[in-house]
Amino acid sequence: MRTITYAEAIREGLAEEMRRDKTVILYGEDVANFGGIFRLTAGLRDEFGDERVFDTPISENALVGAGVGAALTGLRPVVELQFADFLFTAADEVVLKAGMWRYGHGGAFTIPLVIRCPSGASGTGPEHGQCPEPFFMHAPGLKIVSPSTPADAKGLLKSAIRDDNPVLFFEHKLLYATKGEVPEGDDHLVPLGKAAIRREGDALTLVAISAMVPKALKAAERLAQDGHNIEVIDPRSLVPFDRGAIIDSVKKTGKIVVAEESYKTLGIGAEIGAMLLEEALEYLDAPLRRVAMPDVPIPTGANLEKFVIPSEEKIYQACRELLR
Amino acid sequence: MDQKLQLEIYRKIVLSRRLEERVAELIKAGQVGGFMHPGVGQEALQVAAIATLRPDDYLLYAHRGVAYWVARGIPLEKVMCDLACREGGTNRGKGGVMRVAYPKLGVLGESGTLGGCFPIATGAGLSIKVKGEDKVVLCFFGDGTSNRGTFHESLNFCAVRKLPVIFLCENNGWAVSMPTERSTACKDIASRAAGYDIPGVIVDGNDPEAVYDAVATAVKRARSGAGPTLIEAKTYRLWGHWIGDPESYRSREEVEMRWRKDPLPRYEQKLTEAKILTDSLKAQFEAEAKAAIDKACEFMRAQPFPKPETALEDVFAETVS
Repeated sequence: MRTITYAEAIREGLAEEMRRDKTVILYGEDVANFGGIFRLTAGLRDEFGDERVFDTPISENALVGAGVGAALTGLRPVVELQFADFLFTAADEVVLKAGMWRYGHGGAFTIPLVIRCPSGASGTGPEHGQCPEPFFMHAPGLKIVSPSTPADAKGLLKSAIRDDNPVLFFEHKLLYATKGEVPEGDDHLVPLGKAAIRREGDALTLVAISAMVPKALKAAERLAQDGHNIEVIDPRSLVPFDRGAIIDSVKKTGKIVVAEESYKTLGIGAEIGAMLLEEALEYLDAPLRRVAMPDVPIPTGANLEKFVIPSEEKIYQACRELLR
Repeated sequence: MDQKLQLEIYRKIVLSRRLEERVAELIKAGQVGGFMHPGVGQEALQVAAIATLRPDDYLLYAHRGVAYWVARGIPLEKVMCDLACREGGTNRGKGGVMRVAYPKLGVLGESGTLGGCFPIATGAGLSIKVKGEDKVVLCFFGDGTSNRGTFHESLNFCAVRKLPVIFLCENNGWAVSMPTERSTACKDIASRAAGYDIPGVIVDGNDPEAVYDAVATAVKRARSGAGPTLIEAKTYRLWGHWIGDPESYRSREEVEMRWRKDPLPRYEQKLTEAKILTDSLKAQFEAEAKAAIDKACEFMRAQPFPKPETALEDVFAETVS
């Protein structure tokens, strides 16, 4: 199979869906003329024209709200926010409109909207570097995906575009250049709500999200050299969430570490921990360990950022602690 | 304006006024929920503006009263059931009277947060343009709401993309307890159109025919692809912000003076003097309004409340594609 980057996989997924369905449109700041600040959408305006691929003013509330309005009236908009952090700028439109319009109107409408959100620390500081998925996991009515591989980026994006609900699609900026095998063609759909087991093992369950997945796999390799066979699970989709995959794994291993780039308090690890307390306490033979961002804004300087971001080493150490 | 349309506008103003009076009685009697913001005094402009639309156009109404739904032809039974949060309405008790939805007549619902309407209207306009249709979007809002950032973002967005959206400001002089001259730096909301290089039109909101003409002009412009218009209809909120509002923030004299400009008797007088409206027609409209409202209330009372567990439904749609 051919190998392409995560960024190319996203572009390919977008182009395929736009060819397949005329109601799919793409807009955002700098997406058309410049091809996106991360150059993901280069060439799409040339293929699909200015009505379907266009640049917008710096107006995040209008961008997302118009996505809701367009979705209510028969389009399938893909809205690009330049940074996932800008979800907070557009929070009314994201949480109260995209998430609640259908419910508040008794199911009278569907909202097939995708909001693309480049996430993750990359020297960009507190307002351009967050992984804010948990804020929005807390909000009803939003589906949330965070792919870690090029194949999943394409397959989940295509599924998200075809979904009749609003989907926040988190693309980690540091994954854009990573390469992997990606199937060609329309059929490559990855369903929302199904986790991937990236590495099978029986000593410990290591759940890793987005850019934490490659770090977790490296940590697992080191742990294998130490004689521990680690199971690495990539949830891929946070809402809906594949609880069964994690519970099944914990039944086997009895130990769990969650690695995420979101803040620790009420983060993904906190939710997984609470779920296990409710549903799988008897299978746990060690405390949960969370490797997450400390509850501080993300600093800009490289050495400061490195200090707070979960690393392969931190993941390795958290696992070692439980395996002692 | 032809006489048939004049009478139709008058009839709907009467029906709206009587319905709102009934709703107020029901709220005061504790028979229905109270999350209702009355629009008495603003019905004329609401009815006249909506009369310019085709059935396939889109409507985003504001939170001021019942006339939008009457004007659009949503069955009163459904409105009453939504008000009471019973079955038989449009939103299954989920949104109350603030979220009456009627997609088959392009009624896209309502934003709970003020100013949430603007981006949604922009998106509906985007849909129309992308699909190459000649529909329009009519978006109502109040003077206070014109201070939301979404107003400015959306007008600019619609102007640069030339989207077929008519932004209709009902300037009733008050944002809850805040008078417009203290909340808003410019004298006329319509002057804000200059910032987006689109037409900004001021109209007497208590003159339904003037409103009709202004909105019809904007609709024509939008259908032709020339883009959005901002219209400011000057009017007055004759009742409080909610049923039971003590209205301690404004003087009795001010309100009494404004009642003398109530658009309902004013239009009635105009049509009577023009010999378009007769006493018998007037009596007929009143009787029909009462009968329709009685029937809607009766229907509402016979409807069950939704089963409590349905509170867990309607979060996500089943994807079919």
